[in-house]
Amino acid sequence: MTVLDDLLLFTALASVAIIALRRFASISKFSVVVYALATVLLIKMSALGYGGEPVYSSFTVNVLGQILQWRFDALSWFFALITLVSALLAAFFMSGAWGEKYCKEHSKEAYGLLQVALILNVLSMLVLLASGDLLSLFIGWELVSWASFMMMALNPDKLARKAAIKYIVYAMAGAMAFLMAIAMTYNMTGSLDYVQVMQGMAHLSNSQIALLVSLYVMGFGIKMGVIPFHLWQAAAYAETPGAGAVFMGAISARMGLYALLVVIVQIIGLTRVAAIEIPYTFLDMQNVLAWVGALTTIIPTYIALKQNDARHLLAWHGVGQGGYMLLGVMISDSIGTAGGIMHVFNHATYQAALFMTVTAVIYRTGTSNFSKLGGLVTQMPLTFMVMVVSIIGLAGIPPMNGFVSKWLIYRALLLDGQPLLFVAAVIGTLGTILSVYKLVHNTFLGQLRLEHQEVREAPLSMLIPMLGLAIIIFATGVMPGVVLDWVAAAQIAVGIAPVEHNLGGIELVQGGLDMIWVTGIMFYGFAVGAIIFYVLGGKSKHIHQYDNYAGGHFLTSKVRYHYSNHFYAGLMHMIGGWYRNVFIKLEHALVSLVSFMSQFSENFYRSSQPVMLVAVVVVLALYFVLGSSGGAEVSAGVSLGGFNQ
Amino acid sequence: MNSTSEFVTSEFVTGNVSLADVLPQMILMPLIAFVSGLLMILMYRKIAARLQRRVGPPFFQPVYDIVKLYGKKTQISHGLIHDIGIVVAVGGYVAAVILLPIPGMDGIADKGGIITLSYVLMVPSLGLALGVGQCANPNGSIGISRALTAMLAYDIPFIIVVFGVATHYQSTSLVGMINYQQTHQWGIFEMPLLAAAGLFTLQGMMGKHPFEIYVAPAEIATGPMVEMSGKYMGGLFVMQSFQFYVASVLYASLFLGGGSNWFEFLLKIFFVVEIPIFISFLFPRYRTEDMVRIMWKWPVMIALIGIAFVM
Amino acid sequence: MSKLGNIPVNAQDGKKRTNPLAGVFDELVQFCQSRSMFMLHYCTGCGAIELPPAMTSRFDMERLGIQPMVTPRQADILLVTGYVSVKTLKRVILTYEQMQSPKYVIGICSCTVNGGMYWQSYATAKVLNEYLPVDVYIAGCMPRPEAVIEGMRRLMRNIEDGKGNAWKDYFQRYDYYLGNQQHLFGNDWQTPTDIIGEARHYGLESEETYGEHTKILEQHQQPLEPYKMRIKL
Repeated sequence: MTVLDDLLLFTALASVAIIALRRFASISKFSVVVYALATVLLIKMSALGYGGEPVYSSFTVNVLGQILQWRFDALSWFFALITLVSALLAAFFMSGAWGEKYCKEHSKEAYGLLQVALILNVLSMLVLLASGDLLSLFIGWELVSWASFMMMALNPDKLARKAAIKYIVYAMAGAMAFLMAIAMTYNMTGSLDYVQVMQGMAHLSNSQIALLVSLYVMGFGIKMGVIPFHLWQAAAYAETPGAGAVFMGAISARMGLYALLVVIVQIIGLTRVAAIEIPYTFLDMQNVLAWVGALTTIIPTYIALKQNDARHLLAWHGVGQGGYMLLGVMISDSIGTAGGIMHVFNHATYQAALFMTVTAVIYRTGTSNFSKLGGLVTQMPLTFMVMVVSIIGLAGIPPMNGFVSKWLIYRALLLDGQPLLFVAAVIGTLGTILSVYKLVHNTFLGQLRLEHQEVREAPLSMLIPMLGLAIIIFATGVMPGVVLDWVAAAQIAVGIAPVEHNLGGIELVQGGLDMIWVTGIMFYGFAVGAIIFYVLGGKSKHIHQYDNYAGGHFLTSKVRYHYSNHFYAGLMHMIGGWYRNVFIKLEHALVSLVSFMSQFSENFYRSSQPVMLVAVVVVLALYFVLGSSGGAEVSAGVSLGGFNQ
Repeated sequence: MNSTSEFVTSEFVTGNVSLADVLPQMILMPLIAFVSGLLMILMYRKIAARLQRRVGPPFFQPVYDIVKLYGKKTQISHGLIHDIGIVVAVGGYVAAVILLPIPGMDGIADKGGIITLSYVLMVPSLGLALGVGQCANPNGSIGISRALTAMLAYDIPFIIVVFGVATHYQSTSLVGMINYQQTHQWGIFEMPLLAAAGLFTLQGMMGKHPFEIYVAPAEIATGPMVEMSGKYMGGLFVMQSFQFYVASVLYASLFLGGGSNWFEFLLKIFFVVEIPIFISFLFPRYRTEDMVRIMWKWPVMIALIGIAFVM
Repeated sequence: MSKLGNIPVNAQDGKKRTNPLAGVFDELVQFCQSRSMFMLHYCTGCGAIELPPAMTSRFDMERLGIQPMVTPRQADILLVTGYVSVKTLKRVILTYEQMQSPKYVIGICSCTVNGGMYWQSYATAKVLNEYLPVDVYIAGCMPRPEAVIEGMRRLMRNIEDGKGNAWKDYFQRYDYYLGNQQHLFGNDWQTPTDIIGEARHYGLESEETYGEHTKILEQHQQPLEPYKMRIKL
């Protein structure tokens, strides 16, 4: 029994236990213990994070001559760490007051199902991360898709149900593309094992690689929500019940990036991808993928800017930040990939924290609609503090951790000489700054509403994970070296030169980054600012919000004096016309096309021409029997007829 | 690609900075910045007065204003975040000027470089934005929403310029860039288009006419400053002097070769800040969307052409 | 009538200054206060028309350190430039109360002194300093810019000499001013500003701060305590 066996077995047993115990009140505490123990098991493997040898599972399955195996390397360990810690914090978050309220509002059964969905998600993700060959990767992939669907479908709201259905349709389309790619890979290389496939790839032609890369990227891209497959994600994650959204927002979509790192970066190799020229353009396939990443940062970020609901705004940012990761990975040098992989960790921390704060606000006020909030900072100061720390991380401003990963990406783009991608990345960041200010202003700043005067701080069970995350966000911002150690190990695992780093950041001859110094100087600056403010300035008096300048008008509680509607009016005058719902129209067009085809085939079946149908079936059957004489080659249990020749 | 990379690399090697070396600089650099900033504000007001055929304020007017504001007997606060916002607004600039090398003092410039600096410069704006938010005054919030839009407008050409400059010198270190320029040629001669675009964005960055829609006094009651009194307003005055200083030193370091001695350095930064001042009083104010439009059109175009030359 | 120029000034500010440099420091601050005045022109009536020439090229107030500001929070001087109707007076008082001390009021035009040509109007507040402590009146109908600037200089001299303390009077004799205001606006008169709380906070109160009128105010006043930032789980 290896530690990996222990971990997988333990999680599987825990899932069974949680399914069995889901109606008991103690399920909340039990699940927290489960995730904590699983994390301990993972930490036992922490040698992986510092360049240790991969840990194999002793459990293998032999299918059609292929050995399905499971193993953990540094990359899996890195992702698994994020998964388990987010699950632990999400479970802790919902174990107390939030869970009770959820029970009351829905039912005990529903709460139990949420716990079940969470553990199933964790289990399936661990299985996915542990996969040692393409087939087990696909099995994990499907498990994750359905587990996510279960989580999303928990919200009985009509909008949420629709989003969940939309998700599963997208996910199935992605899975089909993935499956097809696996089948073709098997066909071309004769194996599904990573090492053998990697060797086999060397003999493939560029056009074959191009086809494979397109299919794989489509499969993984749908999970990541990259352009043009970004439409499903935001609504689905936003409408997931609070604590579930914390977990989903933090890590779920990153499984796509994991698979992409394994398949595209490790197995196929970015040099092969870069060798594929796109005809009639100056671009190669790697550029195209980088541009997909860049557009994914821009478009969803600016869609987020228009949202009027905190959860949707955050979920759209989750889509947008995925673009940075793809962009970073696609720069393909050690700094850029480090930025991309590190951003997974950083994003998980601040996104989980942000969803927690928003959930806490919903817990206390019952809404996350910007037009119905405002001024909560006096009532919920700690929640506000956590949100400020996390939005600084999300916007990528020092000294929080989001800055470091984005800095690495910018730096790599600079070294690589990619001005347009660099500008695209910065446009994304600037849009993020605008929209996070909207988020924090419209929830916590401005005038407090009359009905929120008795709102209290979030309960302790929700505050502890939030504050813990805030500390992680800050600490890994000041000392990015802690995470960069793991990232470097993960880079080695996927076959990229590890990033050279120290505790404070990167040392580069042409201008590096030392976050310890930068943060130190920033706090020195704040200390000077505080001295100027508190020592040199006189006493001030704290006044009521109605004692406010309104051009001589007497403010009362009857007239709301607050600005939250149409927040960036000037900007929207300029760019408002650019929102043309192109992708939504594209989606509609595809849906129409599919429904047209289904109608057509339906009519074909319904038409009362049995002789015709029989004739067609017979002809097809004859073709299969006589035409493909090598019927024994039909392998892997999948009908691959067309590709065998 | 030009051959400058080798030079910058060999000249500039990240050294270990000890706290004892930096400590005097940590005190001196903000002080110098503050005093020069005050002089720039004086110059700004004097030039405005002269252009309007007035006498203008006396020499110590910026000092009088700040002392008076800090000497106010009563002042209002809308809460802790209002206070902290001002602390961060001033403190962020104090930190930023330590990242900006000046003659004889590099501060911790080699620990961050230009990318870090441009993001540290967003910290004071964010702090101020949070502080203004708690004032619960929609005029302030409108001002901030416009200010952030303005930032979006001028930061895109600015970042293109930064990219071009960093590509040209093959370095993100300001120290390395300045060293290169002092031994070779000023950046403005090697990258005239980028320098022109940079000057354009400088105008937006300083937040003066014609791009001062977010403080529009008669319309939104000076926007972010609407509820600021006494030391709060004083903090903003201090911040403004830093803002002038940072913008001009940044430009001088990127394009005018920094300064090898103090006389040259001061001459350059005052010259740089003078140009936008002269322009500012000749034009009326742009609306927000017009500012975005003009910033995304001309300087972006010029800077992109400039990048094409340095690549 | 207010005892203008006869305001009991408490030079010690209620606390003992032991630092020998404190006096020098106070004088420096006073000097700066006199040399930097941000004015809020509450442009009632016709006197406002005299301010643009006083500010711009012809007379250039900025050379004296005077510049216009927009909101009462930032301003030091409230210029009331003409007749004050009852309705306007409410806003003038709110604006004055929102200004931060030390603050000064300058009444420009005869109307602010005694009602001027609106003496017989039923809707006009005649004597401004019954409602607000006025530092300087500039009489005239209307006073020319030279006169306005001369008035400003008078205020500057007063501040420099430490005599510009009318603002303290508003805190110290709040009951008197409030009484006059209630007389005009009715007993339910209330601004969103908390003058009594402010006087207490900065130690500017005296016996005359409270009285029968403040009692009336307390009876119907809506609470003005700010929301405390609190961590209540």
